[in-house]
Amino acid sequence: MTRMRTIDLLVSVAIGAAFGVAFLGYGALYSLIGPLTAAFKPAEGILAGIWFLPAVLAALIVRKPGAALLAELVAATLEMILGGQWGWGTVVSGLLQGGGVEIGFLLFVYRRFTLPVAMLGGVIAAALEWVWERFSYYPEMSWTFALLLLAFFLVSGALLCGALGWAAVRALGATGALDALPAGRDRDRERRAAATTAA
Amino acid sequence: MRDLLLDGVRWRPTGRDEPTLDGLRLHVPGGQKVLLTGVSGSGKSTVLRALAGLLDPEAGDLEQAPTGPSRPGERGLLLQNPAHAVVGATVARDAAIGPENAALPRPEIHERVRRALEAAAVDVDGSRDPLAVSGGQQQRVALAGALALHPEAMLLDEPTSMLDPEAAATVRRAVLAASAGRTLVIADHHVEPWREHLDRIVVLGPGAQVLADGPPEEVLARRPELQETEPAPGPAPEAELRIEPGLLTVVTGASGAGKTTLLRSLAAEAGRRRGSLLLVPQDPAHFFLASTVRGELGDAADPAAAADARSLLDRAGLAHLAGANPHRLSGGEQRRLAIIAALAARPEVLLLDEPTVGLDAERRSAVLALLEEARDRGTAVVAASHDPVLVAAAGSRHHLEGTPSPAPTAASASAGATTPAPEASAEPDRRILPVPRAAHRPADALNPLMLCLIGILAAVGSYAVSTWQGGLLALLPTVLLAPLALRSVRGAVWRLTPVLLSAVSIAWTTALLSEAPALSGEAWLLGLKEACRITAFVAPGVIALTSLDVTALGDALGGRLRWPARPVVAVVAALVRAGHTGRQWEIITSTRVLRGRGGRRSPRMLAGATLALLVDSLRGAEQQALALDARGFATATRRTWALPSRFTRADLVGGAVAVLLLVWPALAQLLWASLPG
Repeated sequence: MTRMRTIDLLVSVAIGAAFGVAFLGYGALYSLIGPLTAAFKPAEGILAGIWFLPAVLAALIVRKPGAALLAELVAATLEMILGGQWGWGTVVSGLLQGGGVEIGFLLFVYRRFTLPVAMLGGVIAAALEWVWERFSYYPEMSWTFALLLLAFFLVSGALLCGALGWAAVRALGATGALDALPAGRDRDRERRAAATTAA
Repeated sequence: MRDLLLDGVRWRPTGRDEPTLDGLRLHVPGGQKVLLTGVSGSGKSTVLRALAGLLDPEAGDLEQAPTGPSRPGERGLLLQNPAHAVVGATVARDAAIGPENAALPRPEIHERVRRALEAAAVDVDGSRDPLAVSGGQQQRVALAGALALHPEAMLLDEPTSMLDPEAAATVRRAVLAASAGRTLVIADHHVEPWREHLDRIVVLGPGAQVLADGPPEEVLARRPELQETEPAPGPAPEAELRIEPGLLTVVTGASGAGKTTLLRSLAAEAGRRRGSLLLVPQDPAHFFLASTVRGELGDAADPAAAADARSLLDRAGLAHLAGANPHRLSGGEQRRLAIIAALAARPEVLLLDEPTVGLDAERRSAVLALLEEARDRGTAVVAASHDPVLVAAAGSRHHLEGTPSPAPTAASASAGATTPAPEASAEPDRRILPVPRAAHRPADALNPLMLCLIGILAAVGSYAVSTWQGGLLALLPTVLLAPLALRSVRGAVWRLTPVLLSAVSIAWTTALLSEAPALSGEAWLLGLKEACRITAFVAPGVIALTSLDVTALGDALGGRLRWPARPVVAVVAALVRAGHTGRQWEIITSTRVLRGRGGRRSPRMLAGATLALLVDSLRGAEQQALALDARGFATATRRTWALPSRFTRADLVGGAVAVLLLVWPALAQLLWASLPG
């Protein structure tokens, strides 16, 4: 069950690639909060969670070790190749974010794929990413502001990555796009059980 | 040659209530040429997957599983949409995937690819991008990919239904020529074009029940509805594109002539003028933005709109699906839903890209009826199409002469007209070569691993920057070496602007939020140091990456470093397809903007578009998995790589640059400190 089938591999990388492309459009979100973040940089952390979405979606959909890491690495690599502003730093971020989400699901031995586990994965990813940004991008930032940044990161990791990612997987399940995948099988089982009890 | 046998197979895919295959028995003797036909939804595609041995017990309930092939590629599979199957950056490389998966020796891979491209009548150079050639060419590339594994049986899933009549004919000829001495099973709702080459026709009904099975003449005599009548020729082409209320206009022209581009530019223009215009893209799923069928038809609160929505649903035959998710509908239902969803918004102009492509006769006439209804409501309807039935129904026809004929006339040649190069070249070069580049730069000679090493070591070295003076000095080698990699001034600006902007942003943040008093001189100098350091960290990597080719990177990681082959191939395929993914994103976002779901920067629009892109990508991944597994990918843990990943003398220089960038910032720092004063 833990071996990656062809479809598991391709779905993981497809999720990463889709976000890698969509991320280019997300730059607009930062310009929306631009006036706020120019004066108070740590507030930008509130959007951090969206960058870990590929990892949490892949973990929830494919449900196998490595899916989160693979998806996040593809998203990061694509962003780097398409001209991202952080160069190789993006790939380090991808490793840490994908790895962070991976740890969240590993703690439950890849048996639980629920909202709290997704939020935990998002929080761990956020913590690791904060360590990286603190020491590589903002080493001169005072600790007061750096800890504020951490707080924004953690909240964002739980909500924009964990909760939003979990909701996105529910929405994808409704479209039928997950039917051939582990996440779709759960839905199928629930639906058929409900149909049996109703009958 | 082995027989293909389904012996009472039962298959219920996850998410369906009823089995798609319900105890199907089908025996295809080796060498037989069989056509599977039947209305959409009768399970033709599933039967082909069962015959290919690709039903996955993890994706549904499977009983009496058919036996799989005894070696990779024994049974070749072609999909309806060949773009889904593309995994290689070049035509030749794409055709090489199967032999690579089968771990054949390198010289044999090259030989097989050359012969397969020739046998499949692929008449473009092997170095072309398979996602940029016409659909007919693309399907022949897929055919070559299957032939390269010397299949005993060829299984084809509506291989021509997405193509214009001429391209379809070339694909049929190539398939029939290549199928000599092989078993051939074709799923198609058109019988006539294959008829004289068949040994047998199998007609399937719901649940893949066999309704008729026998020699062609016998089956056609019993089921006369399978014979199609030629449609009327339709209106003569006009030079001018007429967009008038109550007129159904078709835009015709071979694939690649620019039909889609024309529609999209009309839509973009209307968007600027805020005209009431909607465009239904070729994939109707790209049009959807609600979670129910009813939700696609607008506001339920307004009684007049609600009544209109009900009547549209009735006429499209979708009333019973009002509560269903649009993405769960069948292909024909999705087309009808997209059209009535557009009509519910009462646009003055309705544009449709290939609204009937891939549909069987019954579903096609249902779509046609809706287009006629739109016309009768006074909407100006413009459809890009190569469907003769749709052309016959049109009131006006505009023909695009996009691609020139392969042999340009003397007049146009002497006039020096800059016509695009004809797709078919006289004698195509079928070798597997590295991916061609636009303009050659010295850095292109480096192995991809060396390009990565330069960026990584430079990033590590940048941490040595500790003063602003040392930081400025640290940037010196990057500035001097950049011209060896950057292709043009415009390219350089495009590449480096984001890097410099983020350096500025870091300088500002540091000046504001460091331990030093905010925005003091001291804080600004700290900011300058940080800006230099981050530029030294990022810029060398970004510049080196302009010479990186992802296919060559895959060869290096898989072939040289021996990283796990299957993930490497999957990642390279995703990166190769990134441009395609970007085009889907563009279609989805512009459709949403046209449908009034907010501007390009609205978070709501972006969230919905991301979800839609994910649906598209997941469906694509499913098709791609089929195509790859039919070419032996499931067992390709020890595969070979068609091209070697070499280190040359240039890489010695590259290595020296990498080491220089690693140690230079520290040296620069020492140098600055040792200066007198």
